Amino acid sequence: MLLTPDIVPAVTSTGATARVAANVAPRFRVGDQILVNNIHPTTHTRLPAYLRGKRGVIERDHGVFAYPEHHAHHLPEKPQHCYAVRFTARELWGSAVNSRDTLVADLFDDYMELR
Amino acid sequence: MSRPHAGPPESDPAILTRAIESLLTEKGLIDPKALDAMVDTYENKIGPRNGAKVVARAWVDPGYKARLLADATAAIKELGFSGLQGEDMVVVENTADVHNVLVCTLCSCYPWPTLGLPPNWYKAAPYRARVVADPRGVLKEFGLEVPETTEIRTWDTTAELRYLVLPQRPAGTENLSEEQLADLVTRDSMIGVGLAKAARGETRA
Repeated sequence: MLLTPDIVPAVTSTGATARVAANVAPRFRVGDQILVNNIHPTTHTRLPAYLRGKRGVIERDHGVFAYPEHHAHHLPEKPQHCYAVRFTARELWGSAVNSRDTLVADLFDDYMELR
Repeated sequence: MSRPHAGPPESDPAILTRAIESLLTEKGLIDPKALDAMVDTYENKIGPRNGAKVVARAWVDPGYKARLLADATAAIKELGFSGLQGEDMVVVENTADVHNVLVCTLCSCYPWPTLGLPPNWYKAAPYRARVVADPRGVLKEFGLEVPETTEIRTWDTTAELRYLVLPQRPAGTENLSEEQLADLVTRDSMIGVGLAKAARGETRA
């Protein structure tokens, strides 16, 4: 569909959510300790490289979303849960950083395993 | 789009973008007037004053604040803000113990309905690379020194959620109206690289 000026207000105020109304079971629960998979896809990913192989804790379950890895390449949809996952700054950057600081990233089911 | 003949040469990305836009227009795949309407919307109509209204409401109305922290998308929509790049929102609250700061290390994910378009530095590689590894150093460059005893919580918002920081309400603002409070809320305070402005006559502790 061609975007024309008359529909711009409706498009901008509605948007297009990637949230999916699919009944997909979460692989993790809030509080679960996880290890981020050490994967290096050459295709689209929303997994930042610096988190690979790091240990974190599931902080919040955001619900079910389209899986970007599949969606970006027109592969069959694979909707799954996306979570806010908390890491300590020391887990990511070593002992020189403040021991209180943390980093939270939004990660999909397929990015992680229980540890 | 007319261009002056004098002036500095265009950057490569600008030339490339203009070439792609002409091609898409000639092929009938885009309507340039629709693009102008999009640009006008986000440059002139939608910006961080929207987010400031959300923050000010949360400061004066505990019920609204509770809804905002529980379901930010719905609470922000109550004030009329919704849509592109704000479809699924999360609001994170700054307290004496936790200072939140936002980044998207993979690109420039940013909550358009409440903050408008991201500033250039937010999209630039140096901020994205450094704020995750050295948030205290980067915030110092923004003029913000966070006490060692306060946790800095950096949110790398690379997926489908868009975030907004709820900054702390400045001291000495008990008698200000919601509108006056909104004037103290800066864009940077809602990204977490700054604090809300102090009330007139107050200095920040």
